[in-house]
Amino acid sequence: MSLQNIILKLQEYWADNGCYIASGYDNEVGAGTMTPDTFFRVLGKKPWRVAYWQPSRRPDDGRYAENPNRVQKHNQFQVILKPIPRNGQTLYLRSLQYLGIDIRSHDIKFDEDNWASPSLGAWGVGWQVMCDGLEISQFTYFQQAGGIDLNPNSLEITYGVERLAAFLDVKRSIYDLEWGGQATYADLRTEEEKQFSIYNFEFADVEFLRNVYLQYKKEAHRLVEANLYLPAFDYVLKCSHAFNILDARKAVSVAERNTFMANMRELAGIIAKQYINHTEDRGEE
Amino acid sequence: MSDFLFELGIEEVPVSEIKNIMDQLKSKFISKLKEIPVEFKSIETASTNRRFMIYFSNIKEKADDTEEQVKGPSRAIAYDKDNQPTIALKKFIEANKIKQEDLFEIKTPKGLYIAFERKTEGEKTKDILSVMIPAILKEITFNKTMVWNSSRVPFVRPIKNLLALIDGQIIEFEFAGIKASNLTRGHSLLSENFIKVHSFKDYCEVLYKNFVIISEDERKKKIVDEIVEVEEEFNVHVRPDTKMLEDYIYNNEYPVLFSGQFDKEYLELPSEIISTFMINEKKLLPVLNKENKLINMFIGISNIPDENKHVVRGNERVIKATFEDAKFFWDNDRNDDFFALKDSLKNVMFHQGLGNFYEKTDRLNTLIEQLVKDTGNNELLEPLKEAAKICKNDLVTRMVREFPSLQGIMGGLYIKETGKQKEIWDAVYWHYEPKGFSDKKMESLGGALLSLADKIDNICGFLYKGIKLSSSKDPYGIRRDAAAIIKTLKDFKLDFDLFKIIEIGIKQFQDNYPESSDLSYNEIQKKTQHLFTSRIENVFKEYLHVRYDIVNSVMNRKEELPIYRIYLRAREISKILSTDNLKHLISLHKRLKNIIKDCDKCEVTAENLVEKEEKLLFEIFNQTKDRIESMIEKKEYTNACSEILEMKPVIDNFFEKVMVMAKEKELKDNRIALLQNLDKILSKIADFSLIVE
Repeated sequence: MSLQNIILKLQEYWADNGCYIASGYDNEVGAGTMTPDTFFRVLGKKPWRVAYWQPSRRPDDGRYAENPNRVQKHNQFQVILKPIPRNGQTLYLRSLQYLGIDIRSHDIKFDEDNWASPSLGAWGVGWQVMCDGLEISQFTYFQQAGGIDLNPNSLEITYGVERLAAFLDVKRSIYDLEWGGQATYADLRTEEEKQFSIYNFEFADVEFLRNVYLQYKKEAHRLVEANLYLPAFDYVLKCSHAFNILDARKAVSVAERNTFMANMRELAGIIAKQYINHTEDRGEE
Repeated sequence: MSDFLFELGIEEVPVSEIKNIMDQLKSKFISKLKEIPVEFKSIETASTNRRFMIYFSNIKEKADDTEEQVKGPSRAIAYDKDNQPTIALKKFIEANKIKQEDLFEIKTPKGLYIAFERKTEGEKTKDILSVMIPAILKEITFNKTMVWNSSRVPFVRPIKNLLALIDGQIIEFEFAGIKASNLTRGHSLLSENFIKVHSFKDYCEVLYKNFVIISEDERKKKIVDEIVEVEEEFNVHVRPDTKMLEDYIYNNEYPVLFSGQFDKEYLELPSEIISTFMINEKKLLPVLNKENKLINMFIGISNIPDENKHVVRGNERVIKATFEDAKFFWDNDRNDDFFALKDSLKNVMFHQGLGNFYEKTDRLNTLIEQLVKDTGNNELLEPLKEAAKICKNDLVTRMVREFPSLQGIMGGLYIKETGKQKEIWDAVYWHYEPKGFSDKKMESLGGALLSLADKIDNICGFLYKGIKLSSSKDPYGIRRDAAAIIKTLKDFKLDFDLFKIIEIGIKQFQDNYPESSDLSYNEIQKKTQHLFTSRIENVFKEYLHVRYDIVNSVMNRKEELPIYRIYLRAREISKILSTDNLKHLISLHKRLKNIIKDCDKCEVTAENLVEKEEKLLFEIFNQTKDRIESMIEKKEYTNACSEILEMKPVIDNFFEKVMVMAKEKELKDNRIALLQNLDKILSKIADFSLIVE
């Protein structure tokens, strides 16, 4: 099955299960969790079901297009179910069957992996889902976002699209994958992975990034002052991405890392509170 | 008699929590049933990551009946002068729903009273359990909890079913929004939907048919047998790993072994890296050939039979990608100048207020110098000073950032790659060992010394900072560090006073970070002393099986901490347990202590010796004293004890013939002094008076 077919099938499956199919967010994010469709919507009382395909950047995971499984930009398929359905695990296993995986002949395990995003003040309890030794998804019961206890809680399912595709296609490397149409993963992504690996690990200008980090942070603070929590959140995402490149460049000390994290966590906390206040004011609860 | 079956069905619980949960469930059921009491004969439990089962095969249908005497009004109030019941008594009868003939009189200190025997029938076990089970579930504690539904009940993972049956009937209750039922579920992949069960027998059969091996022992046996099969088939050896075995047993309700291969080229990676990536990343076990060398093979445990070879092929692909990652880290790190990484340590904090790792290596340098001197290993001075300087550089390598458990090992391997001498890289490689007292003895003396320096620095630093330890809390693992130090000193027979080096350790923190603590030197010193004495007691008892009183007897001197000598003394005394020799030493020491306990320190003056028995004791003591002391110095404790016992007839004679508490002060003090000398020399071995015969 081609990579784009997987995305289409997952969209179809989750649309049938009551999800709104969103587009991925147009800002660099480290994970599907970091988009407004997740970060904001898991807050507050209102039920919410969304599914979307989110390209996600992890500068430190770049391998110059030489590793069969790891890339600095990969594709996540993100599902949020709020409140948590009783049969979450079953719904998930059925989605794998929908993709054509015979769950009776593969070793699918829910392996403890509690997810946390210190920069967003968010954490949850759950598993990484392993299929024949390959991590294909994260399955998380959200407990907090922006430092706020969630009620109701949400279930987040994140599929690693490349991993799934390599698994379904029995390919030794994700670069051998068919993306769809005439395009292969290698055609589309090799040069990008090479150039960004060089940039992230060797070429990124540390001074420049420190500088923009501070600028973004300043802008985010200015925006929350004006109660503009949505654009403010964008600037937290920009901070986060700048930080991730600095980290890949080994330019961040442990002490500094804590400061960076605390900065972003503080902002995320303010933004989450503003969102809740705003929705409550509008009577949306 | 009834039978009671309970199963808590749950989504995959972390293995680290399973034992803890099962133990709590079992002990809470037992204690609560005993408290009521509801009698039962036997109890069975079983658990996997998806269920906790508890079964009482012989439990009483109801709680025991109880009888109690209920006291009513006094005789005088209950009956009027015509001996007729008063209104008070009638009301008492009415309120308790009894008849007049149930009443009898009892004598109390206040006079005669009316009473009756109230018989209460025991409640039905079924009803008791319907209250007890939710109460128990509520009481269970976990390391980490979550909420998932509108009940907002915190639990370890979402509950799927609460099967509760007594004699086939459902015990009704609700917990965390889940109603008790007669439903269980089978294997996570090979069985769908909930399944009804009617009895324990039924339950076991249903699970078996639905690919759940409920017994831990059975699962373990299946895994171990299948490992042996592979070992025999391929003439190989699977490296045992207790933690992984535990993981396999609990994470697979239907464990099936698979074995696969990987490209030989990855065997060029250091074996430490191969093993770490296989085990930590992929839960696969490395395989060794008969020469104990890693080969390009692995085993793993699947939760389903792998008839189509999907599982093994999948894992083979995954392990390749994992090794590619390992290679990336290994190659990348080696491209960096390892020695130049030292500067980056300035960015890595050791602990808030205690500086960074660059500064830590400076402290290690001082400590290692002293340790080399104290242990007489001068030939290691130069290599170990160099090792101390660079032993933390690997903290900023990619490999260790990704796999902290490889710290030290990677440093050693990277230094080896640069062509430095063995004494240097070997010390760095081993310097985080040992991790526990039951570890094997490490092979490197240099590693042992650097490990001592590192751990002494940890302990001094954290105690300086005022980190508090409690029975359950040891956030920086300094108890473990102390146990590791004791083990290293024992294993390598390193004989020196630990307090001297700890003094240097503490002073380094005081000099460099005066703002970080308001504890005085003496306070910190006392804390280290307490830490080590309690650790010595603990590990001697637990791992060396030395009796508590013996540990106590050899630790009597507070001003120094010669751990290796303490260990030897404990060992030697344990050897002569229940011999006459030890009995004599104990009674002698007790007698001495008894006499001199309230006396000031005295000196012997030869002119004041008057009786021939005391003269003889003085003479003999002076003749043998030096010899005994030199034996003690040479750690020949058994010989020293024998030598002291040689004096026994003379001492006995002294006690028999000489009055210690003489009227004349000079005579008395002189005799006390003689005994004090004996006590002093005995105490250099142990305070025998503390040993229980």
